[in-house]
Amino acid sequence: MTDRRRINGPSGGTSAPVYSKYLTKDASTQIERPMRSRAPNVLRKMFLKTGVTPSASGSAYLELEASKSTNTNTPGLASLSTSGLKLTCTVHGPRPLPKSAPFSPHIILSTHVKYAPFATRKRRGYLRDSSERDLGVHLETALRGVIIGDRWPKSGVEVIITILEGEEDQWWGDDRGRGQVTAGEWGMMSVLSGCITVASAAIADAGIDCVDVVSGGVAAVVRGQGKQSTALVLDPVPPEHQEILAAAIVAYLPARDEITDLWVKGDIGNQAVQSSSYEELADNAVQAALGSHRVLVAALKETADMKLGRS
Amino acid sequence: MRLGTIAVREALPPTAAYVTDKEIQEPLWHYYYDVEKSVAYLVSKHTPKLKMAKKENVKVKGNVQGSRNDECSNPFSVKDFFGDMPWLNIPLGRQATFIAPLYPRGGLLGGSPDGVPKMSKLQVLAAARKKKAQEQKSSGSTLVEAPMANLTLDSSKSREPKAGSSSRGFPQRKRKDSNPHEKAPTPVKRESSKAESQDSPMETPPPDQAEPSAFANTMFSTPPKPAQQPDSFFTLPYNATPIANTDPFAGPSPDDVVMAAQSKASGKGGKGPPKTNGEKRAEQIANGVEALKMDDTPRARSKNLDVLAEFEKAETKNAANFVVIGHVDAGKSTLMGRLLYDLKVVDQRTIDRYKREAEKMGKSSFALAWVLDQGSEERARGVTIDIATNKFETAKTAFTILDAPGHRDFIPNMIAGASQADFAVLVIDASTGSFESGLKGQTKEHALLVRSMGVQRIITAINKLDTVSWSQERFDEIRTQISSFLTTAGFLAKNLAFIPCSGLHGDFIARRSTEEAAKWYTGPTLVEELDNSEPVHRALTKPLRLTISDVFRGGIQNPLSISGRIEAGSLQNGDALLIQPASQKCFIKALEIDNAAVDWAVAGQNVVIHLSGIEEQYVKVGDVVSSPASPIRNVKELVCKVLAFEVLVPMSVEVIRGRLSVAGRIVGILGVLDKGTGEVVGGKKKVRVVKPGQLARVKVELERGVPLEAPGRVVLRSGGETVAAGLLE
Repeated sequence: MTDRRRINGPSGGTSAPVYSKYLTKDASTQIERPMRSRAPNVLRKMFLKTGVTPSASGSAYLELEASKSTNTNTPGLASLSTSGLKLTCTVHGPRPLPKSAPFSPHIILSTHVKYAPFATRKRRGYLRDSSERDLGVHLETALRGVIIGDRWPKSGVEVIITILEGEEDQWWGDDRGRGQVTAGEWGMMSVLSGCITVASAAIADAGIDCVDVVSGGVAAVVRGQGKQSTALVLDPVPPEHQEILAAAIVAYLPARDEITDLWVKGDIGNQAVQSSSYEELADNAVQAALGSHRVLVAALKETADMKLGRS
Repeated sequence: MRLGTIAVREALPPTAAYVTDKEIQEPLWHYYYDVEKSVAYLVSKHTPKLKMAKKENVKVKGNVQGSRNDECSNPFSVKDFFGDMPWLNIPLGRQATFIAPLYPRGGLLGGSPDGVPKMSKLQVLAAARKKKAQEQKSSGSTLVEAPMANLTLDSSKSREPKAGSSSRGFPQRKRKDSNPHEKAPTPVKRESSKAESQDSPMETPPPDQAEPSAFANTMFSTPPKPAQQPDSFFTLPYNATPIANTDPFAGPSPDDVVMAAQSKASGKGGKGPPKTNGEKRAEQIANGVEALKMDDTPRARSKNLDVLAEFEKAETKNAANFVVIGHVDAGKSTLMGRLLYDLKVVDQRTIDRYKREAEKMGKSSFALAWVLDQGSEERARGVTIDIATNKFETAKTAFTILDAPGHRDFIPNMIAGASQADFAVLVIDASTGSFESGLKGQTKEHALLVRSMGVQRIITAINKLDTVSWSQERFDEIRTQISSFLTTAGFLAKNLAFIPCSGLHGDFIARRSTEEAAKWYTGPTLVEELDNSEPVHRALTKPLRLTISDVFRGGIQNPLSISGRIEAGSLQNGDALLIQPASQKCFIKALEIDNAAVDWAVAGQNVVIHLSGIEEQYVKVGDVVSSPASPIRNVKELVCKVLAFEVLVPMSVEVIRGRLSVAGRIVGILGVLDKGTGEVVGGKKKVRVVKPGQLARVKVELERGVPLEAPGRVVLRSGGETVAAGLLE
């Protein structure tokens, strides 16, 4: 579907040009791939806060810190910086369904995930594209199992997530046709994980009954230093890795030990080095989800304190 | 409170006996009447310095506070009290700042429903700070801190900065509260979530939790304060009192109180305050709002009116529809145009315009007819083609004119009009030769048709008498001929009236003639005669029947509308309707009579019905609307008692009822009937032919099922001629 309502810019990327002198000069000014400074089992720090949007029933804001560039000599161009993840989520509802809608004995959950046009290095359109719809479907799957829907017959709730700053799919330095090795769109995994966590916080802020708070976590198998070695990392940042072989994202309910959504992408393959299996990948994603659950709970505690007037 | 005060006083050590009741009550209030805590607080407060209490009193009483907090080491004296009074030369830092009153939290802009929004976060913070200050003081409090702790005791004051920082309407909790340190003499520190978490010991951030980024800070932190000493804030009196926090609508309004007192005084006692106009209007508005809600629903909800009772109550004018019939060019349209013009339904300007246009086309005498003949085709040819309706009112009755076409090609349209009429006006051209040709032509046919359509009363307007110089002989001649013909056609003599008139000049229509030659006529004018018509009986209690005379789009909101005259029964907004022959159910969305929305309509009225819940393809002109409770049935075969105008043999005919017309054939003649008694004549002999003028019972088979039922009147036409007309059986 084409967007006929606005005058859109060129469909290609619109980021500022990066001149080759920054890329090819001596090693001191060479812009390097950001390196993962965390341990493989350490998550990025997360900032989560509810109550961003006053007009919504519930809202939350989540951001993951951007990975710092290792080389301090690099010119401070905005187009060279790598971005973190910034999500804002609003929940509208539960509110009555329109009269025209058929009867529903439980709440009808609708999820919208939209990248802001400026969220990624390559400019996004104003209409949701297939990847955004895909994220929405995944998010709905993750949340549907959490909300106790029977308590709101004939009502609907809308979860709307705007991605203000998206995870990059690869290091921009690779974005010249030479690095297209893997399936790509690895950033989507972290984004979805963030979406799940932030939506969970916003739903809790809206006061919708849930069986548990669901949190998302990502784990990935990345190509290690050696040619054949692979490593398992939690919360991967795609620009930091030369190649991501496979990644898994789970939506996990810690109190019930349930998974409401599981999405594995990529191919570990039947390589000689069977350092990791899909089970291991999923288990590590659950560990990552537990990590984000801690932040989620802290944020919700703060919300509850604010609401109950304690501080 | 009183009991608590006494208890505290008893528990206090004798050294603290000077403590006032007010001072005791304050901690009691803050500790929720916990006597022990209050005592501990008072002891800790009053042991170090006796003067603190006094100073605090001063501060609390006047809500204005100086930026300078110098200690009074002496006992209270007036001089010291006014010591720092600047006497008009107030330094800038001490000038009070007026703050917008604290608006109640409306929550009008939505926001997440706060669980217990009893205390603002600031209040809570103030309480926490107070507690902390107290703890510090009890563990060897310093003199600098003590007054500050006292300052925050007044919980109402702690709300002040909030009023300054808050934007009206948004829930307070969305913002991080203003920095608790702002009230302290320490320089204002930029707040962060870290400072926050330090304040609340229960919240230790987990290791994964990050500081907000610069971007997040713009969203969550308060903007930097204007450089003002918070101490110089001055609240408007009464705004910060706890009353502002309570529900202002909980008690009776001042108006209610006054009204109740008044009603009590005037002895109305228990009846409660009488409703004022304002309240009634408010109720009306509330009702209106409810009615608006109903519009959301797919169909309008019925008000369940007792339509008949409403109709009795309404006392509308008598409504009457009459059809104007006559031979082509008898002057029907002109006569009606003159009638409308003389009754000022049409203004002079319009007539002048028509005259000009008609002259341009070389048909100046048609100008009046154009009032009713609106179509370009009709104007160009100078004949009426389709039924034109118009309305006028006399003192007694509201009339609807149905101007029927006189041309024989448009007889079906004329039948459609006649089927809606209560009585008929037969227009006869009195000019030489025209009357005779007309009598042979449509004058007769029309008269027979309207009779067979059930019209009882007929007013004969003998037109164009000015062309025969108002000859009384001519009038009498025509009158004799027509009355004899009409009597044979079945009209009663008392239901006949004859009026000489001139449509072109307007004599004897709305006014009496000015012509000398017309002095002989002393009877009523046409309008007077119309007024004499008796109110028609309406079949109100019968099941609903309405033949659709037009289907159209009644506007954007009403995609499908029909119009027609209710033949029987009544209807109201929201009623379910059954449209036959499509057998589709639909609902009345809205009703209109004479372009005005109404709630109900009864038989005899011409209504516009806006439908909902039906597709356009199921609604056609000529369809019959009935109520689903007593639906009209689609029939494919009908038996009717008809008066033959032509020879009737088993042949294909067109059955016309109002706008409905369907092809069929006469499959059998069941018998010829006696006109007087209605008995079958000729015994059991099989009849093959019905001669003109005979009454016969025939069986007609129709091509498709159409909604027809027993007391209905049908016209059978064949080859462009009316062959028979009669009653369904």
